[in-house]
Amino acid sequence: MSSVRWVPIVLGVLIAGAALVAFAVPAAAQDNETCLTCHTAPGMVLTLPSTEVVSVTVDPQRFGASAHGQALTCATCHPKNVDVPHPKVTAKTLKEYQRIAAGVCASCHGDAVDAFAGSVHGRAQRMGFADVPTCVTCHNPHDASRVKTATFRNNLPQLCGTCHADPVIMQKYGLRPVYQTYINEFHGITTTLYKLTKPRDPTPAAICTDCHGGHDIRAASDPASRVHPANVLATCRNCHADAGRFFATAWTEHKTPGPQAAPLVWYVQLFYAFLIPTTVAFLGLLTVLDLGRWATDQIRRAGKS
Amino acid sequence: MSMPGAMVRRFTLAQRIEHFVLILSFNMLAFTGLPQKYFQTGWAERIIQLLGGIERTRFIHRTFALILIAEALWHIGAMLAARRAGREHGDMAVNFGDFRRVLGDIAFLLGLRREKPAFARYDYRQKLEYWAVVWGTVVMATSGLIMWFPETVARYLPGVIVPASRVAHGGEALLAILSVIIWHFYNAHFRPDIFPMDRAMWSGEIPLERLRHDHRAEYERVVGAEEPPAS
Repeated sequence: MSSVRWVPIVLGVLIAGAALVAFAVPAAAQDNETCLTCHTAPGMVLTLPSTEVVSVTVDPQRFGASAHGQALTCATCHPKNVDVPHPKVTAKTLKEYQRIAAGVCASCHGDAVDAFAGSVHGRAQRMGFADVPTCVTCHNPHDASRVKTATFRNNLPQLCGTCHADPVIMQKYGLRPVYQTYINEFHGITTTLYKLTKPRDPTPAAICTDCHGGHDIRAASDPASRVHPANVLATCRNCHADAGRFFATAWTEHKTPGPQAAPLVWYVQLFYAFLIPTTVAFLGLLTVLDLGRWATDQIRRAGKS
Repeated sequence: MSMPGAMVRRFTLAQRIEHFVLILSFNMLAFTGLPQKYFQTGWAERIIQLLGGIERTRFIHRTFALILIAEALWHIGAMLAARRAGREHGDMAVNFGDFRRVLGDIAFLLGLRREKPAFARYDYRQKLEYWAVVWGTVVMATSGLIMWFPETVARYLPGVIVPASRVAHGGEALLAILSVIIWHFYNAHFRPDIFPMDRAMWSGEIPLERLRHDHRAEYERVVGAEEPPAS
């Protein structure tokens, strides 16, 4: 037997193997391509029984640019949807849908999910409150790198404000809406101005998560909270490294100044609320009198001549 | 009798330069400060964008704030020096007579008396404005510095003074700007007999005739008591 006879067989096996290796990897990409044939159409939505809608349009460029787009395929997170038509969605409401979706995140993002579980939001979720945010309330898994952008940072107060500016939602939990008091304060002004005039630069001023924490956010009354009275000065010093020992009260704790909350600020407000109109009225009156006397003199002089 | 068109010296060159520095710093501070007070408006956004962002706006604001503070210190020094040299006689001091003359002037303006009160070198309008600038500069500089160095301030004083300073800074700024628009613009520019401007702060001189009319006590001091009273 000549070994030459084996050459085509060996070659055949090698070529077949190479072809298998070469095509096996794009096979996954091929997967995404299939999904994106439909899911790039703008305005595609899934309507839930509660009449709430979920956008199912994916921007392939933003998805591809994110860590998710580079490491995962559609089927990694949506294994059931490999079948077309897709199996029926079991969630009845948006919250239920988001909670199921968040379960997928846990398979990789264990740290964030654990931190969230210990947070005031995670606790409220276990207690079954409807308004609690889940992963996808704040994060878009199809545009995961957005969290690293200046836009995300500059708009974070608005994101938290979705609930924390709403007095109806806040009242249910015995909380005050804190969004507007942030916006009216030093940090909020700077952040707003960055958003408006320098949207590509991240605001250097503190945003919600800088003081309260993100995934691990706790109630301000919780001794483990970064804004608990015992910890707040240390939290200020994260940015204001040489802050003096009385620095914490420079922050009015999202309270609108009044006779109880930050009374000094309130008295100064009252002082100017009185002084400005009084001064303007007094100066304005004397000016009008002066003009009146001049006009009277002119008329009298014209009458004489 | 004095010559028609005779002029009396009113401000030294140094005082006129001081006033010019005040014009410059006041306007620049208002221009860079108001957009910070009304940060949510569209015009504020455009001005801050024009200036290159909020940090650049604050930098310009603080630069002119330092110029204004330096000028205020210069003014105090110049006043003390003038007093020591005997060139300063407390012309800006507010006294009981000023309150009487305010009422007298109101009576005159209402047509209840024929004569304007005999004002001294500076009338109550000018004294009010001068002391408003002194008060305003003290409030603005103090509250501004507190906001500029909150970490240091909070070493010695309650932190609540920082947000209180922000309210005071914004309130006092609005008060100052409105007062300048109503009071200073009228008395130094739009008063019909001096429109378009009182040239005294430009040339340093005031016509003797206007001094007789507007500052009769000072006129009599300058010219001498033999001058017959105005008819």
